Parts: sequence; C-alpha cells; structure tokens
Amino acid sequence: MPITPMEVYKLLPKTNCKRCGEQTCMSFAFKVINREKTIEDCKPLFEEEKYRSQKEKLIKLLEPLNKATETGLIVDESKCVGCANCIVVCPVHAAEDPFGAGSGFGPTIENPILRMENGVVKVVNMEMCRRYGKNRTLCVACRENCPSDAISFLEG
Amino acid sequence: MQITCTGCSCLCDDITLRFNGEKIEEVRNACRRGAGIYLHHSSNMAKPKVDGEEVELEKALERAKEIIADSKNLVIYGLDTTTVEAQKVAIELAEKMQAYIDDCSTFCLGDFVEMILKGELPTATLEDVKNNAYVITYWGTDPYNSLPRHMSRYTYYPRGGKRQRGYEEDRYLVVVDVRKSHTAKLAKKNARFIKVDDDLELIDAFMKVMNGKAPEKFADDAARVIREMKKADFNVIFGGLGLKYGLNGNYKPFIELTKKLNEISKVYFIPAGFHANMRGFNETLFEKTGCVNRYSFREQKCSNDFAFSRLIESNAVDTALIIGSDPLNSLPFDVAKNLAKINTIVIDPRRSFTSEIAKVVLPSAISGVEQSGTMVRSDGVKVEVKAVVEKDVNDVYLLKDLVRAV
Amino acid sequence: MLRFGKFLRKIEVEVVVARNALQAEAADAGKFSDDFVDKSAVLYISENFAKNTGLKEGQIVRVSNGERSVKLKVAISDIAPENGAVMPNSIYSSYLSDFSSFKRFKAIIEIEDGKQTTPDEILDLIET
Repeated sequence: MPITPMEVYKLLPKTNCKRCGEQTCMSFAFKVINREKTIEDCKPLFEEEKYRSQKEKLIKLLEPLNKATETGLIVDESKCVGCANCIVVCPVHAAEDPFGAGSGFGPTIENPILRMENGVVKVVNMEMCRRYGKNRTLCVACRENCPSDAISFLEG
Repeated sequence: MQITCTGCSCLCDDITLRFNGEKIEEVRNACRRGAGIYLHHSSNMAKPKVDGEEVELEKALERAKEIIADSKNLVIYGLDTTTVEAQKVAIELAEKMQAYIDDCSTFCLGDFVEMILKGELPTATLEDVKNNAYVITYWGTDPYNSLPRHMSRYTYYPRGGKRQRGYEEDRYLVVVDVRKSHTAKLAKKNARFIKVDDDLELIDAFMKVMNGKAPEKFADDAARVIREMKKADFNVIFGGLGLKYGLNGNYKPFIELTKKLNEISKVYFIPAGFHANMRGFNETLFEKTGCVNRYSFREQKCSNDFAFSRLIESNAVDTALIIGSDPLNSLPFDVAKNLAKINTIVIDPRRSFTSEIAKVVLPSAISGVEQSGTMVRSDGVKVEVKAVVEKDVNDVYLLKDLVRAV
Repeated sequence: MLRFGKFLRKIEVEVVVARNALQAEAADAGKFSDDFVDKSAVLYISENFAKNTGLKEGQIVRVSNGERSVKLKVAISDIAPENGAVMPNSIYSSYLSDFSSFKRFKAIIEIEDGKQTTPDEILDLIET
C-alpha cells in the first residue's frame, strides 16, 4: 500500500512552526515521502512528550520507506518471470539507452534503473527514475505493463 | 561473457554471464526460464543406465547400438532442443535404418511452419516486426508464460525503424484467447482483448467485416481491428497452440483469412514460439525430404500415421530413440506409457520421466551451455549458440557413434 | 455444464492447459523435486468460481477425466476462465488428457484430503 502525504500529515504536530525549514506541515509531509527530508527534521515531534505516541506511529508508518530508501519501487520477485516489459517500457531508459533497453535489448548503460539479474528484475539505480527527486512526475509505465503486478510503488 | 540463450525459440542473443571461478554466478538480461537453465545447468543430471542400473557410458552406448542394430522398426523422436548439426546426424541415422523420424512439432506448431515454408502464409522476421509492425496480434498464445521476452524484445514494446514512438502511439495490440491470460491483461489503451470460445467464429467475423457484412459475434472487435490494420502497411499475427487446436486440423479458414487480410493491408504470420530449435528440425527435414515432420524413410513420405504418438499407440515400432524430449511429461499418458513396453533409448542431459522407464539412458549436453551449434528462431532466422563449457559427450558425438555402428 | 452448491461433492469443469513460466523453471531445474510438484500439480480457478463452488486456496482436490485422476492443489488466480480452470503443461495435464481434447478437456473436481500426487505415483502405474 502506498504511503500518502496525508497519512503522514495526520500524525504531525500540524502547527506550521517552520522549524523543519518548510512553510507548512503538509509541505513537510510531502518532503518526507519524497525523502528530501527525514522525520527527524521535525524538531517538536522528537522534543515534546505530548507528541510521543504520534512520533511512534509515524516511525512505524514510514518503516517501509526506510527499508526501501535505495529504491522506493518494490519488485515482488516471486511474481516476476523476467519478461522485461518494465525495462523496455521505461521512458527514462528509452531516452538514456535508446539503442539498448529502448530497442528491446538488455540495458547497455552502466547503471540503468532496472535490469534483469538471474531471471528477475532488480532495481539498480532509482535516482534516474522520474518518480523521484525535485521534478518528479507520476510515471507508472513499469507497473502498468507488468501482467503479474510484481511492481509496486511505495507512495501513491 | 555474452551468450545466446536456448530456453525457447526467442533465442535471445544479448545475455551476459558472470563467473565466480568455474561457477556461473550471475546471468543478465535473460528471463526466469533462461537464467534458470544457466544457473542450474548441473542439477538433476542424467547418468548412463541400462535397464535402470547405472553403468559406464561405454556399456550404455554398446547396449544402445545393439538395440538399434537389432530393431526392425525404429522411430527417432524429440530433437527440438538440440542443434541443427545433431538433427542432421539423427536424420542420417533414420535414413540408414529406414526408420521413422518425428519431433514435437506434430502436436505443436509444425503445421504452421510447413505452411510458411511452402509459401501458403506470408511471413517476416522478428526484426521486421520490431521495425515496422503496427497491429500485433497474439492468437491463442500467452507469451508472458511461454516466451517471456517476446513482447519486450521483438514486438509490442521496443522502438525501432518506423515505430519510434513506442507502444502507446505506434503499436496496436490484439490478444485472442479463451481466458484473460497474463498477456491479455496488457491489452489496455491502444489494444483489444478478444475472448473467444470458438476461433472459427472470430475468423468468420473478420471475413464478414471485410466483405461489408455484419457478423453476429465480434462485430465491434473485428471492425476495429480491421480498421487499425488498414492504417498501416505492416501488421503481424503470432499464432500459438490455442489457434492450432481451435482450428482442429482445418487450416483452410485461416489461410483464407490471411489472404483476404492481405487484400486490405499487409498482414504477416509468424508462429508464436516453441522449443529452441523446433523450427531448425522442421527446416532441416524439409530441405531433405519436403516434409517438416512425421516422416518414414522406408515409405519415403510423411503421414499422420507416422506421427510418433500414432506409431507408439498402434504398436508399429519396436524401438524408440528419444533425444532431448520427455514424452511422459508432454504427451497423453495412454500413449507415452507404451514406451515402457518397447526398447526405449533416451539421450538427454537431464533425468526425465521418460528416462526412468527407458532401457538405455545416454547422458548428453545442454545446448547453448555444454554444446555449440546452429539453431533456428521461431521466425526462421538462423542463430549460432556457443557452449559455455563444451562437453565432449554431446548429442552429435552420441548420434555419430550410433550411426557408425549400424 | 457447471453446477453450483456449497454441499456439492462433484464439480464439473472445463480445464484449459497452458504454460506457466514459474513451473517451466521448476521443470528445467529438476522434475523430481518438491518444487516441481508444488508448481505443476496445481489447479487455477477464478475467485468467482471459488466462491460459487466453495473451493478454497490451498485445498487438495481430486481432478478426474474418466478413469484417470490426480490430486492437485487449488490456487486462486485471475488468469483462470470465469467458470473453468487452468492447469500448467506438465505430466499431470498429460496424464489427464488425450489427443482428442489435448489442451482443453472436461474434468470432475472432488474435495479430498491428502497431498498432491507425485510424478512417481504416475510412473508406478506404467507396466513394462
């Protein structure tokens, strides 16, 4: 299940104190999902006793995000049969590796986003993916073309 | 190390292996099945056996030669996972012994390959498809499970030639099946999933639409697909087992359909896929005899009566030499079980169900891993496969030894 | 013909035989392994079909075609036809079918205890 900014916001102090460097708690919630900020950046959450239960709930909620800090995209390997649709469909691969992955072959660039290793798709280089970073877009190309729903995203 | 995978008739040539000493540690770019073949190439290996007891290879070979020399009616079967070079030796042996020879294509897509070789169906290569095809139809086949990289390597997803903008704008996918298979799930935006119960009804619908009549069933689907095909100058139909068994031996309606489709646009046919070198066998036998399978060197002709399963069922043979195939796994039990009653010799790199009931087992080599040679892709393109580590005792070695002895 | 009912002992169904990628991997690695049995001796049915017939995920069923039968494990999957079933292409499907209805045959399903049939049990039926 993807973690939404709203779920994070509900557990924050909601005081818009700006100590994290953001204007509002909602904006901070988005940055946490994006991994541009960490939950520890919310000082009141960790300093004030009254927020303890919210803090614990938030840490638990954001656990999967921590586990997949390197990826954010999870491949359920038990479902993946190695069809490589995700690799070929990826618009970033098409742009960065047009005569490799973009043309149906295994990626020829050093660090593609996805690559088939030992028969299943592995996430190699999430940073290149359009879904992350400052100018992220809601790209779902890989997930949409996986017939066995092996690919899921952490946030919405 | 770059290699060509022999998992299926896609024969992907962009696979790379990384070693840790002698052991294959990582396989890149191959699908699950292909990677498995390289990662587990030494599991479940066959051992030389006579009457179920493990013996030295020489002893097993001797016994095999005896059995074959003494046989009055021999059938050679399998061969779809071995190289063209080995297939040629097998054909040589069949000729010398005036034997029958058949492969899996008889109950797989041999009929379609034959129609292509005889020019009854227009065809193209997979590269042509990648560079040109607009409407791509998978009819009675589920490549996601049987040929995993087919769609991403050669057809719907890759960009190429005149199809630079990818599947969303430059391709139209049609999936025809009796159920919503994994492949069918991909028919989303510019695509159609056509659920059929009787393929002839869909063929009829296409014909009616092209003749300006309204079909009772599939009116919308047929009209849309025809409209899309007319938009482009290159469309392709991949036919699989669903289509073969749906047509139930009568290919005339499908040939008529293809002819008619080519009056309104260019539509090619390529068999969806099968064992790595099934087409290699069909083409090699065809070159020599004019038949793709079920051939008798004694009668100098091919016939349904000479199909492997028919021969076993009708007790027409006393000896069966099975190379790289496992009839107990793939053929109806009532037929395959009779292999225990005759002199069955199995040549296979791995232990199979059929090897358990064979009189003689001769362990050989896995194509593309332990033996090199030529293979033919589903679209007829010849591909060289190289061994990772060549084994001395392979299909060619064993078969040549058998030929010498008779 | 399909008959519904929670207390029904025998369910008639049309079985489609199709390739399954995970099963193919298990077969290549070793046909005599538990993994092979686990991935091959399976009957896939849709959620709807399961609801209508009372069959449950993981249940063992006896699937028969005439005189021949094998014990398979039920798995719920959306790739199965609405009112039918899918079996992977293997010794189990080959055991149940014949050439007149090779990849699509009618079978009877009955719930039964026990485990999935092993290939050895089928091989034991062969007379020499």
